[in-house]
Amino acid sequence: MQFIRSNTFHWAAALAALFAAFVTILFGFIYFKIDDYLIARSDGMITTQVNFFAALPPDRRISALEDHLGQDSRGVQFAGIFDAKGNRLVGNVARLPDDLGAGAGVKSVRMARADDKEPDAPLVRAVARSLDHGHVLVIGRNVDETRELSRVVGGALALGLLPAFCFWLLAGAWLSVRAQRRVEEVNLRVQRIIAGDLRERLPHRNIDEPFSRLAAIVNGMLDELETTIHALAGVGNDIAHDLRTPLTRVRLTLERGRTNATSLEQFQEAADKAIAGIDQSLSIVTALLRLAEIENSRRSSAFGNVELGEMLREVCDMYEPIAEDKQIALSVGTSGTLHVRGDRDLLLEAVANLVDNAIKFTPRSGSVKLELSRGGGETILRVTDTGPGISDQEREAVLRRFYRSDKIRSTPGVGLGLNLVSAIVKLHGFRLIIHSGPGGRVEIVCPDEPAGGA
Amino acid sequence: MTKVLLIEDDDETAEEIAAELADRGFDVEWSSNGLDGLAKARDLRPDAMIVDRLLPGMDGLTVIESLRKDQVRTPVLVLSALGAVDDRVRGLRMGGDDYLTKPFAVVELIARIEALLRRPPETRETTLRVGQLELDLIERTAKRGERKIDLLPREFRLLEYMMRRSDQLLTRAMLLEEVWNYKFVPATNLVDVHMGRVRHKVDGPDDTPMIHNVRGAGFILRAVS
Repeated sequence: MQFIRSNTFHWAAALAALFAAFVTILFGFIYFKIDDYLIARSDGMITTQVNFFAALPPDRRISALEDHLGQDSRGVQFAGIFDAKGNRLVGNVARLPDDLGAGAGVKSVRMARADDKEPDAPLVRAVARSLDHGHVLVIGRNVDETRELSRVVGGALALGLLPAFCFWLLAGAWLSVRAQRRVEEVNLRVQRIIAGDLRERLPHRNIDEPFSRLAAIVNGMLDELETTIHALAGVGNDIAHDLRTPLTRVRLTLERGRTNATSLEQFQEAADKAIAGIDQSLSIVTALLRLAEIENSRRSSAFGNVELGEMLREVCDMYEPIAEDKQIALSVGTSGTLHVRGDRDLLLEAVANLVDNAIKFTPRSGSVKLELSRGGGETILRVTDTGPGISDQEREAVLRRFYRSDKIRSTPGVGLGLNLVSAIVKLHGFRLIIHSGPGGRVEIVCPDEPAGGA
Repeated sequence: MTKVLLIEDDDETAEEIAAELADRGFDVEWSSNGLDGLAKARDLRPDAMIVDRLLPGMDGLTVIESLRKDQVRTPVLVLSALGAVDDRVRGLRMGGDDYLTKPFAVVELIARIEALLRRPPETRETTLRVGQLELDLIERTAKRGERKIDLLPREFRLLEYMMRRSDQLLTRAMLLEEVWNYKFVPATNLVDVHMGRVRHKVDGPDDTPMIHNVRGAGFILRAVS
């Protein structure tokens, strides 16, 4: 009986009550209208009759009156002629009612029938008219018919309304039970999801109904969460894997050093190698923390005007010796001075990462170009190189943590560089576009009105 | 003896740092909370301070701010567990002189403390000299003894920084921050490449080397004795 407390049921019951009240008022209105109409009609009738009888010559009047009463099979007609003393001369009216003044209009009066034994005189619409010699003609019509009508109407109302009301209540109960069942079902599934079964989904039918739509929305959210959680789990595995490699090496180095080293120098050499391995592991952790830091950062307080051309030249200056060592031509091409709003240190870090990557993956005697251009309210920072570039299939993957292209597995690196660039670009509300190869081409598009950024 | 005040609430970290500083000949005073640390900083007048960012009692930055209000100019190295992007900026703005994010190598910490203690004086001199090495800041020229050294502007900047801090261990992170204004450590060991260029020019094939590589730590510029 829990449904009785449910909101749906309350609404259904309230609606049923409202409906019942409305129907009752409607029936009442119809009743009064019909009542009015019937009384007006009988008033018209008796007025015509009284005029007719009054106009007849006295000798024919009595027989006409008796004929009139004789034809009334339903016994609703009243008629009579009284003398000046109030004695009945003819007709079925027991006495002349005191409050029925001759010459007045049609009135409602209590009027007993001469042959009637019932103690209660019925309510009758009647009219009196004075005749010659002080005689009074009375014509009346019983309007109890209307009361009968009200009984019929009331009966019909009770007969129709009661089942309807019950039906409403039942429908309300059914709806609330159904809603409750669905809530129960959702609850059950959500409990399973909470318990860790991420593949569970809410039930939903392919119909345009609020509950189903809600379920579809929640399911969409769950899909997204599942993907993210799997991705995170994957990242966890990647981290573990990437950390295990240097740590295993450290362990081996230390073990070998401990067993084989015979001099202080050999011990120190082993220790140095171990420290280098630990530094590598630490750099992975540091890179991850830094990534998390940038991804979680929402601040723009440190944002200022950054002159990109100067920044590019600075990065170029920094990387020139390395490029030279690999005989790679590193160049900067800018037109005029271009400013963007941002955090100079972070943008420098992003560009340095792109250049670092470009130089790393470009073979000897190639070239790496840094360019700035304007177009459509956007400033575009482009890094192009003559390396293998990024294939179409790899474009998504390179933004994954720890992804390192198969082709360049041998190149050292943590594999978080592009993630970092992506996070920094996102923080600024800029866009990172990676074009497919051959030849690397990565762009940071900085709209004048950054969208979604901090 | 050089007195260093360490305000750090983690016992183990504090012990490690204190032991290392003591080994290097520092007189270390340790305080595990902000209020006590502030009191000690006022009473003991240390030569340098190492202050953790998050401390019980009083936040590390507040400690520094109070000291600076009292016109205490003691150099301060701020330590932080996680260098939130603008934490560093705030740390320095509040009066910290340098900033180090955990986890850090002890060598890095010592190098930075020594750098703080031996900050080069503001000189009006236009020529820097370390042994035979001479740097003319006006002419932007360098020579070792009689040999002229051709330096690119970036190489000049690096050598200038090293000469101002000769006989000090300069870590890669310090060089990146001070010479190139990099607030991060790039994937490629850029510093080594730049240093290699400068060293090649400063230390000729027949010269006694002046620029020394300290393994796993950084570089030192020393006059030939």
